Amino acid sequence: MHSLTRLIPIALVLGAWELVTRAGWVNPFVFPPVSEIVIRWIGVFADGSIYAPLWDTLWRALAGLAAAIAVGVPLGLLMGRVRWAEWFFEPLFSFGFPLPKIALIPLYVHWFGLFSLSKVMLIFTDCLFPVVLFTYHGARGLSPVYLWSAQSRGTGRVRMLWRVVLPLSLASIYDGIQVAVVVAVLVAVVSEMVSGGGGLGQLMIRSYRFGDVRTAFATLLTISLIGFALYKAAEWLRGRLLFWHVAESS
Amino acid sequence: MRLLPLVLLLTTWQLASSSGLLPKSVLPPFADVASILGKLLASGEIFPHTAASLARAGAGFLIAVVGGVALGLLMARVRAVQRAIEPILLLIYPVPKTALIPLFMIWLGIGDFSKVTVIALACLLPVVVATFNGARSVDDMLLWSARARGTSERRLLWRVVLPAALPQIAAGVRTAIAIAIIVLVSSEFISAETGLGYLIFSYGGVGADDAMLAVVIYLAVLGYLLDRFYLAGLRRLMSWHAFAH
Repeated sequence: MHSLTRLIPIALVLGAWELVTRAGWVNPFVFPPVSEIVIRWIGVFADGSIYAPLWDTLWRALAGLAAAIAVGVPLGLLMGRVRWAEWFFEPLFSFGFPLPKIALIPLYVHWFGLFSLSKVMLIFTDCLFPVVLFTYHGARGLSPVYLWSAQSRGTGRVRMLWRVVLPLSLASIYDGIQVAVVVAVLVAVVSEMVSGGGGLGQLMIRSYRFGDVRTAFATLLTISLIGFALYKAAEWLRGRLLFWHVAESS
Repeated sequence: MRLLPLVLLLTTWQLASSSGLLPKSVLPPFADVASILGKLLASGEIFPHTAASLARAGAGFLIAVVGGVALGLLMARVRAVQRAIEPILLLIYPVPKTALIPLFMIWLGIGDFSKVTVIALACLLPVVVATFNGARSVDDMLLWSARARGTSERRLLWRVVLPAALPQIAAGVRTAIAIAIIVLVSSEFISAETGLGYLIFSYGGVGADDAMLAVVIYLAVLGYLLDRFYLAGLRRLMSWHAFAH
């Protein structure tokens, strides 16, 4: 019942939209009725035209994200526990984190070409910052009690990083991954809008060129759905993998 | 001291280029990039583009801060507003705002109007959410003591709730600054004839890598300085606040 009342404002907005567009107060070419957008959205799935760009965007985002986790987690752990690594990398990542990495699109196109590689590399670069910084803060803020008890049993340095520091930092690492998931989809779409090479971003720009608002909306909904689904998947995975973690039970 | 790693990185870049280890076609020497940046600044060529970008980002950002704070406060204090707005915010939250650029280009044209609108929309969400959370968690003691002295509800909003929520609003606004720059650059990459994003894109398009990198570095420094100025201004503004001590 409660969740139903929450839907009322959304239903009102969509209803008003439908009425205004049906009444002919706005140009339906520029601002089509909701129902026609939904029909178009079902249409792009029914005729299969959305799957190729959807797949392009999805695998680029996931590949860049996976690479950022593979590189960023070890680097962040190292920064959290090793003095010189912290001294060198922490200022670079803190300085670079708020900067707009998408400004590097033209440079990456020059280095890695117009197609998937330049996009995956840019997604990797952009996602690396949250993954590294969250891992670093997780690894640095650990209670020394755990480390002492492992040390007193003669755990080696490398083993310590993998078997003690990594598991204890996982909650913070997952926070970083949650941020990176959103960034990955965003950067994938923007780089496709700017430099083409297929994907939902390019479909968005092509719909704009043809003035096809219905397809543009259907694409936007698909992009939002990917972002939302990946975010929820990361959240679900977190619950499954971290049920034992101290930070989760508190 | 914290700058040393950055200096080391730039020195390595310069040494790798000048020794021929790093071909000029891959990455021009840092000295070339720096000298071009010097020329762009000396000739004043970069300033009209800076002004155009700052105007777009600034207009969108200001609309978002004013509208976002007002909406967030209202949502926190008026139940009906919260009930009406919160589901709609939840609905548009997962939409990547930069993906809206082509749609707004259809609706509002390719000029500044569509860019400012998308920037405002993208910056609005973090400000509304931060203001709402901040205003909702204001200590009840503050409200009771103000009410006991006969403060009107409207005055309460401006003189008690808003100042008490300021630390959280400030964090939301800081996020909005970073978002404004990202959306600005994206929209100028997609369609513009002025602005720093346009400049980067057009230098990149003709293969003038040194000039392109010069503008990228200029933009990075500008973004960094904006953030620093914001934090410094905030510290002065908030010197009275409990969280600053």
